[in-house]
Amino acid sequence: MSARPGRGAAASWSPGQQTRFPGFDPAAQASHWDGVTAETVLRRLTPPPPKFFTADQAATAEALLDQLLAQESDQKIPLIEMIDARLATGETDGWHYSDMPEDGQAWRGSLAALDADAFSRCGTSFAEAPGIDQMALIQAVQDRGPGDWHGLPAGYVWSLWTRYACTAYYSHPTAWNEIGFPGPAYPRGYKNAGVGKREPFEVADADPGDDPLRGEA
Amino acid sequence: MHGVRDRNESAWLIPGDGTRTNHRLRRDMRRFADDDEIDLVIVGCGAGGSVLAQRLARAGWRVAALDAGPFWDPDTDWVSDEAGSHHLYWTDPRVIGGTDPVPLGSNNSGRGVGGSMVHYAGYVPRFHPSDFATLSRDGVGADWPISYPDLRPYYEQIEQELPVAGERWPWGDPHGYPHRPHPVGGNGEIFLRGAASLGIEARVGPVAITNGRFGNRPHCIYRGFCLQGCKVNAKASPLITHIPDALAHGAEIRANAMVTRIEVDERTGRATGVRYITDGAERFQRAAMVAVAGYSIETPRLLLNSASRRFPGGLCNDFDQVGRYLMVQGAPQTAGRFDAEVRMYKAPPPEVSSEEFYETDPGRDYRRGFAIQNVSPLPITWAEHVAAQGHWGRSLREYMSDYVHWACLGALCEFLPQPENRVTLADETDQYGLPVASFSYSQCANDRKLMRAARSVMEDILRAAGADEVITIERYAHLVGGARMAADQQHGVVNGNCRSFAVPNLYITDGSVLPTQGSANPALTIMAIAARAADRLIRDARGGAPDGPGPGD
Repeated sequence: MSARPGRGAAASWSPGQQTRFPGFDPAAQASHWDGVTAETVLRRLTPPPPKFFTADQAATAEALLDQLLAQESDQKIPLIEMIDARLATGETDGWHYSDMPEDGQAWRGSLAALDADAFSRCGTSFAEAPGIDQMALIQAVQDRGPGDWHGLPAGYVWSLWTRYACTAYYSHPTAWNEIGFPGPAYPRGYKNAGVGKREPFEVADADPGDDPLRGEA
Repeated sequence: MHGVRDRNESAWLIPGDGTRTNHRLRRDMRRFADDDEIDLVIVGCGAGGSVLAQRLARAGWRVAALDAGPFWDPDTDWVSDEAGSHHLYWTDPRVIGGTDPVPLGSNNSGRGVGGSMVHYAGYVPRFHPSDFATLSRDGVGADWPISYPDLRPYYEQIEQELPVAGERWPWGDPHGYPHRPHPVGGNGEIFLRGAASLGIEARVGPVAITNGRFGNRPHCIYRGFCLQGCKVNAKASPLITHIPDALAHGAEIRANAMVTRIEVDERTGRATGVRYITDGAERFQRAAMVAVAGYSIETPRLLLNSASRRFPGGLCNDFDQVGRYLMVQGAPQTAGRFDAEVRMYKAPPPEVSSEEFYETDPGRDYRRGFAIQNVSPLPITWAEHVAAQGHWGRSLREYMSDYVHWACLGALCEFLPQPENRVTLADETDQYGLPVASFSYSQCANDRKLMRAARSVMEDILRAAGADEVITIERYAHLVGGARMAADQQHGVVNGNCRSFAVPNLYITDGSVLPTQGSANPALTIMAIAARAADRLIRDARGGAPDGPGPGD
């Protein structure tokens, strides 16, 4: 799919306002999860501090990830810690493009490139740049599409960033609150599958007509 | 069902007490010494390797099957969680290239006993009779050295052993299934509704998930985490459908054993066994016969890494066939948005299929076709769909908050086999110091036309069901080919019975032997081919007759 510019900054929706699924909190159902799953999921709430990235790289990565997932200061999901832990143990997806280095090196290289862009634009590191400039710098990478960015194919860098960022964010139970997903389902399973049906522990969307795509076409 | 138990007792060997693994069977497993020349060593315990092991162990062969990954226990090793299931995949490094590079890992590879069937969706359609002769019928692809009737009895056997649930199947060679179709969830309901209003035939199934108790395997609980490994033992994988019976008949399953090389005696030209690494040490298992079942990337890689003076370009590669004609299916997924809540994460992702567009339609400007099936991405995978539309930041979060309103269809497009789509060895090495696989893939014009046609049909179905918006992501599914079967060694690596042309006691019994792929998920066909190869070996063991002591000696 071709990227549509400006999609990071344009939306009016505001994070932190959990209005669609009032009171929905999958983690509160953890007593219904099997023990192995509960341990795996709940461990994400308190990840160890970064050790793969240097302090400077971690600062750049955190600023980047917070922009990619619109995270604001309080109650952030610990994306940088989760991604660092993957890279520190070499938990990659098991492949890399022939014109990209392996994932760890690609992360370090792309963060350095982002800092270089920030210095040219604002005279500061990426992490210290104002939010509006951070967004513009990120948007510029996305807009390059298949083109070159500091010696790397920009589209593959974009894929690397968003893949790791989305995997970390949507593996966290707090993220499930805002999308209505109940999380682990063993051994309980589901009894009410079907259009318009809900389990007792699911919460109805309070704003079902709020189609984000409507009016865009 | 009595007949099934007589030939494969796996479902009855699983505990009936709510736990999922027969630990005693594993503890008491027969263990062969490395220097004991066993009848057969198998490389890989997935769809092909496990069926072969079970069949030959039952026939009294002394068999060991090695797998690079663990011997899973669903209770303790698998979770009901998307990100926590990363260890089910083959994540050792691989390099991808070509004009349309195909990501590997989670979607199309497995590691551990059960192979990728541990995390496959569970769709198990048969190939159509036309699949076996696409070159003579349609002028594209390849003709197989065997035909549909050769596989039919094995399709029937395996469908009973998994077992498969579904409606009567009207496409290809029409047939029924041993278990009734499952009830559908919201996603399946949308597909059926949209297809009905367009006059497109769609059916529930065919799904390798028990609908009712089968042996000691319980009914599905519709938890939706099929792609993360079935903790219930309801979805079939060789770990529960063939391995227990193999163990009970004296096979050894040697997990965490990475095979690095097949040895061939330069003087006799016959395989003598396999080198493997376990617990950091290199060992060598002697065997009278070797079967490779490592799937389409690792099987060619192992052959290429087994080069010798006799086979300087790689084992069985005298005619430069190893690694070639590797196929993926084009698998675009189209999602539709409904004001009603669909909640597609409930119920197994495999629900409804249509094979209406499977064969060549003379009225179209492309050959062969595609199938359409439900897919039900969980949140992380769904985020890929949303991010692929260009969203990030607030707009990504906002679109994601709409998750419960989306239904999703996936197509499997029959991409054509091409010689340059292939595995070679990269300069990069893995944790064992072995060159990793480099997989190059480029689509042809017919492939692109199929992707477009499938996308447009899926959009039509979702709109007909009432979707106000549709979005599509282009992706790939499944791997087959890379060491294909053929009539002669100039065109393939093995014959129709899976025996390699170059080494008389070397077999390949996995998805890499498929010359074409149809629009069907390959698991059932891989199992059927392995079951057929096993039958041939049992009937006519001239390539490596078991002449050592029999079971119990």
